[in-house]
Amino acid sequence: MPDPLLTLLLDFDDQVRRDQEQSPVFLHRRDRRFALDCAQQGLAPDPQHWLAHLHRLNPRPAVTGTDPRLLRWQLLGRGFALAGAVFGVLTMLGLLFYDGSQRINLTVILGFVALQLLFALATTVQAVAGWQPWGWLMAQLGRHDAPSSPALARLRPQLMARIAHTGGLLFGIAGLLTLLVLVVVQDLAFGWSTTLDTGAAGYHRLLGTIATPWHWLWPAAVPDLALVEATRFFRLQADSGTIGVSRWGDWWPFVTMTWLVYVIAPRLLLLLLARAHLQRQIRRTLAHHPGLTALQYRMETPALDTGNQRDDSHHQPDLTTASRATAVPAASVIIRWAGAEPPPQLASAPSLAAGGSATLAQDRQTQLDAAAELAAADSPAVILVTRGWEPPTGELADFLETARELWPGATRIALLPLAVEPGAALPDHQLSQWLRFSERRQDPLLQVATATGLTGSGSKTRGAAS
Amino acid sequence: MTPAPVFAVVGHPNKGKSSVVATLSQNDAIAIALEPGTTRERQAYPLTVDDRVLYTLVDTPGFQRPRRVLQWLEAHSLSASDRAETVAAFVTQHRDDPRFHDECELLAPLIDGAGIIYVVDGSVPYSSEHEAEMTVLRWTGRPSLALINSIGPDDHSDAWQAALGQFFQVVRKFDAVRAPFDQHLSLLRAFGQLEPAWEQPLEQAVRFLASQREQRQARSAELIADALIAMMGWQEKNTLQIAAGGNDTGESLSETLRQRWYQHQRQREQQLRTAIEQLYQHTRIRRQEAELSWHSDHDLFSEDSREAWGVSRGYLATAGFGAGALGGAGIDAVTFGASLGTGALIGGLIGAAGSYFYGDRLRFPAVKLGPIRAGLQTATFGPVQDSQFGYVVLGRAVDHWWQISHRNHAGRDLLDLQPADSHWLEGLQRPYRQAIQKAFDRCRKRKEIDPAARADLVAAIGAVLTTYDDWRLNRT
Repeated sequence: MPDPLLTLLLDFDDQVRRDQEQSPVFLHRRDRRFALDCAQQGLAPDPQHWLAHLHRLNPRPAVTGTDPRLLRWQLLGRGFALAGAVFGVLTMLGLLFYDGSQRINLTVILGFVALQLLFALATTVQAVAGWQPWGWLMAQLGRHDAPSSPALARLRPQLMARIAHTGGLLFGIAGLLTLLVLVVVQDLAFGWSTTLDTGAAGYHRLLGTIATPWHWLWPAAVPDLALVEATRFFRLQADSGTIGVSRWGDWWPFVTMTWLVYVIAPRLLLLLLARAHLQRQIRRTLAHHPGLTALQYRMETPALDTGNQRDDSHHQPDLTTASRATAVPAASVIIRWAGAEPPPQLASAPSLAAGGSATLAQDRQTQLDAAAELAAADSPAVILVTRGWEPPTGELADFLETARELWPGATRIALLPLAVEPGAALPDHQLSQWLRFSERRQDPLLQVATATGLTGSGSKTRGAAS
Repeated sequence: MTPAPVFAVVGHPNKGKSSVVATLSQNDAIAIALEPGTTRERQAYPLTVDDRVLYTLVDTPGFQRPRRVLQWLEAHSLSASDRAETVAAFVTQHRDDPRFHDECELLAPLIDGAGIIYVVDGSVPYSSEHEAEMTVLRWTGRPSLALINSIGPDDHSDAWQAALGQFFQVVRKFDAVRAPFDQHLSLLRAFGQLEPAWEQPLEQAVRFLASQREQRQARSAELIADALIAMMGWQEKNTLQIAAGGNDTGESLSETLRQRWYQHQRQREQQLRTAIEQLYQHTRIRRQEAELSWHSDHDLFSEDSREAWGVSRGYLATAGFGAGALGGAGIDAVTFGASLGTGALIGGLIGAAGSYFYGDRLRFPAVKLGPIRAGLQTATFGPVQDSQFGYVVLGRAVDHWWQISHRNHAGRDLLDLQPADSHWLEGLQRPYRQAIQKAFDRCRKRKEIDPAARADLVAAIGAVLTTYDDWRLNRT
């Protein structure tokens, strides 16, 4: 029989396990969206609605017949029910076996009923306590199966109790029907016998107590003292087969009611209890499911997107550098760009300022002054000293472009980027940005020089290095 | 409804504008390089809560020709009152001029009402070269804040602070790569102080971000707990057909199982790392972590790992006592207390002794060979019986979590997971130690960890994260 609550739990558990593959950010966004939609529609964002929402968006093939996740339990349940019915018939036939040689002993029937009651109570106790003494058997039977849901595994004691009580109930019903059939078709000879030293009065008191539940309902099913006295038999008593023969069959109402009240009724009650307990455990398992706690948090907490969706990591600049820095050339003019101070070896040479805090008009004047110097030089060259840690910008590119128009065509321009510490070598990553700037200018007479190894006095400023 | 504040992150090229945006937007996929012109177009990074934008950061290219811009502005302005309009006019006129592409990109959001976040590099000397662009920014009339970032090791921030104070309302130091999370929040609060209408959305954003961080730590504890449960309880099983007369088949099977068990554990650990990284929105560390393959000394199973991440005998004894006492208490429960707690005491002593004597060596599970039936033999390997294995996994996982949770998204350097140099778990409170030991014991006995036991383990791991965080912060 399909159990909607159990199906809900299993569906929820499956969905939570599927979600483990998804990123937490996506899950948060998805479930928060659902919660906001529920709030708008006045719906409770419970697992049932949540699953319906997900299944609506991701339709699954409809499952016809038995839920495959519960197939083992269904088969087990049917097996127990069938076995219960068959054993019920066989057991009752055995209990009521009468071949004329010896009467059916009521004490045996009462003992068997008590045993049944004990089994039923034990089943319930183990389910309530969560014991699984038959767990090894289940593990053996399911060793070739796919691993079952942890949620379902936790419900094993309750599921097992439900199955066991169902089997027990069918056992009782089949036994009762067998009893009634035998009462009709056979002349059953009941009696009572015991090795214990007890009299008919004591036995009658015991039976009276047993019959308390139905004495007002069916007085005929309560044995009187006369019947008890008349139907006692002893194993070795020769005439036991003839005394009170007419009353031997009067026990069947008592036996029927005993079976009904102490075998069938407890099983029925305990089955209902097992079902209720199972439902409670399913609700409890769902309520304490780690996935539900996480889901509720995702639904209650606003989805925070910090702006990390954009990925422009593939737009990294090309950092390959083909050219190399050269030595500082002999130069007619030194230009200090953006406040850079030339190294001491170049200090005696005339220098001009440009860039930085200078105005564009001052830049222009520097270019004109340099042009006049360069016009007089045999091999015109300019050293443009810069702060190597500051990246080359468009303003420097503009300056070089204008200078190239004003200066003699053969003028060599050497960019000399300096390190923060005077005399120190410029770090590679800073030098390479100047080299790439020079490459982008596509000016064969533009190069990048390094101050490393710069020697000589002021007199060598013009043509200090080769 | 007041529009959400927008902050344009502007400045000279190569001063860490994109790094600041990457860290504040928790986006490690923003292109960052020490090359002028890496950012060519402005890009918006909104912080949204349920699709409601609380603020937007705009990454922009750096100034290329600020003096030319200033010259144009000065030539087209009559008085201070028309400066903002003049800047807008400049953008309108030069929108299609490739020479002023970068200036138009960075000035456009300011014209639209964005606040200014001006970024400089405090590790290099101040230069008056920046004054032209600072003047241009002042012409926009927008609320402004200057950030002194530190790209290099030197510190020239005092000079910068003095100069920037003349141009900007607020000046803050903020190391985009190394600033702790508290400073991120503090900086966002400072953004909110620039204009009264911006205070509330920025405060909201700060609250959400702080809450998100707490949740991430809690989720990390869950991820680590689940990985520990899976790894401590893992059993490798295989069935092999036994050839007649073959003696070495069993050994071959054992070796295969051992290798598969080791491989599974390593994969599970990597899976945990990826999950933690994704949780903290670090999506590009995996590539960097692949380069860690040479760190064979830090492998999960090396003796060095045990030395570094394992716990002491004393620790194991106290944790074992607690776990054993819990089991022994069952005896007391059965006797309804008639044993006067003797069960707990005996159980505790047994647990402590077992942990003390057997916990000092990294013992791995032996292969168990089943009987040969119909030419088939089944063998199992695991679960590991030594708690130290769990503590090694835990130590490495917690260290990785710490590195990731303290890593800013502007960071591009290699994630170097170095072993700790002392047993930091000694600072963990006893109930948490016992909860961890109890979970380990259940796992190695292949007992089910029910939701309540898992919750206890998660709480204990949460305490471990806090303990480790305190230990790292006090150490450094």
